[in-house]
Amino acid sequence: MDLIAEVLIDPFRYSFMVRALVVSTLVGVMCPVVGVYVVVRGLGFMSDALAHAVLPGMVAALLVGASIFVGAIPVALAAALLIGYLIKRTGVREDTSVGIVFAGLFALGLVLATAFGGVAVNLEDILLGQVLGVSSNDMYVTLGLAGAVLALVVGLHKELVFSNFDPSGAAVIGLPTGRLEYLLLGMLSVVVVMSLTAVGVILVISMLITPAATALLLVRNFSRAIVASVFFGVASAVVGLYLSWHFNLPSGPLMALTAIGFFGVAIIYQGQATRVLRRRAA
Amino acid sequence: MERGGALVLDGVSFAAGPGCLMGVVGPNGAGKSTLFDVIVSLLPATSGRVLIHGRPIEDVRGQVAYVPQHERVNWRLPMSAWDVTLLGRTRQIGWFRRPRPEDRDVAEAALRQVDMWDRRKSLVGELSGGQRQRVFLARALAQGANVLLLDEAFSGVDIPSQEAMVSVLQELRDQGRTILLASHDINHLAHYCDECLCLNCHVCACGTPEEVLRPDVLMELYGSFGAVPGHGHGLAGDRVGSHR
Repeated sequence: MDLIAEVLIDPFRYSFMVRALVVSTLVGVMCPVVGVYVVVRGLGFMSDALAHAVLPGMVAALLVGASIFVGAIPVALAAALLIGYLIKRTGVREDTSVGIVFAGLFALGLVLATAFGGVAVNLEDILLGQVLGVSSNDMYVTLGLAGAVLALVVGLHKELVFSNFDPSGAAVIGLPTGRLEYLLLGMLSVVVVMSLTAVGVILVISMLITPAATALLLVRNFSRAIVASVFFGVASAVVGLYLSWHFNLPSGPLMALTAIGFFGVAIIYQGQATRVLRRRAA
Repeated sequence: MERGGALVLDGVSFAAGPGCLMGVVGPNGAGKSTLFDVIVSLLPATSGRVLIHGRPIEDVRGQVAYVPQHERVNWRLPMSAWDVTLLGRTRQIGWFRRPRPEDRDVAEAALRQVDMWDRRKSLVGELSGGQRQRVFLARALAQGANVLLLDEAFSGVDIPSQEAMVSVLQELRDQGRTILLASHDINHLAHYCDECLCLNCHVCACGTPEEVLRPDVLMELYGSFGAVPGHGHGLAGDRVGSHR
């Protein structure tokens, strides 16, 4: 019993670990909730790009001593709009536009960080995440953003499902499919930014798509897959946080590895299930 | 009911009354899908009007249902037949609300009417082409639509399933609904439909199958395939990219 207490409860004698747990759990809930749409719509590259593109915003915010949300969210939204603009106006292909915008902004962020960063900007924390350094303020902002996005995703569930499943059918009954699309991209931007402290720029994508992909492998119903993906997301975030504490390693990579571990188990399980079904059918 | 003066491609004008099953036939690229897109205002008409029950579509949104072409649907979303049918109630349920018991009753009745109640738990992506179309018809019924548009409804549907679908469509027509059915296969449609609209960038003929199945119309429809210079202005090349 003592050992269990030591492993599970001890870390939370420190308030920064409590804050880290709150933020990790929120990331574990919010990434998959938006991530299932990312997976079924094939927006993985776009999401990865958004995460990288906010780097200049984050660096700028840190340089002036503001919360990273202040810098990152406008840059994420601007990047999403810029990509949309390039595709519509210039006819450049979607993946090309995403690549150009994302690499350009990321490069700008690296230059800013190296040129002006000094002690204010720790590039490694930004890239890999440092959930143990979350301030109370950041925690409350994360909580507020998560609440707002969750309310929208739950409240507009049937509208989002309809317009992502059958956009033309949804438009015919009068759903504003264009605005719902922008809403989805907006929520994606917000979730990506709120996850940056926990998992970092490079690994946000793993929390977005891996738990969602795991759930979609196992659950054959979209609404239930969302719930299952939240389970995998929270489990990955919390297990990753514990590992990070006990082994003194960065939290982001460990959360990503845990999520991928679940995915691996799901693949093996699904392979077994398919084999059993085939044997029964044969 | 009247649909007057809708300009698609080049001066397409026709009317379909209640209780009419109208086939829209023409070769690939004849503008059948574009015509449907204009009717449901997915695409703007360059000039002319589309009237449903004598009113613009914006006033009668809920009464028009659209069964999309296979490629317009994102099959990666794991949706059961039941889930898809319930989507038909989206308008009635309203924003930020969950389905009520009466919505479920309507969805059940709709699935039973198209004879898909027993398959309600199956993923639509895994159903056969004909069953899939019937689920989308159930969605249209759940929506309470009395004008139904089916785009390439029979592509990838085998003959027995086609017949099952047609009997459902005829039942819906007998209840007073207006049904427009696009297909490139005129032979099949002629058997099922009350009226045929022969379309090849303009209206070649419109009337009962007996009236329009003439050698000269068929020649104009299929003989001139791909060689209609001067037509197709207005909306050609202006497709919406609402699917991916």
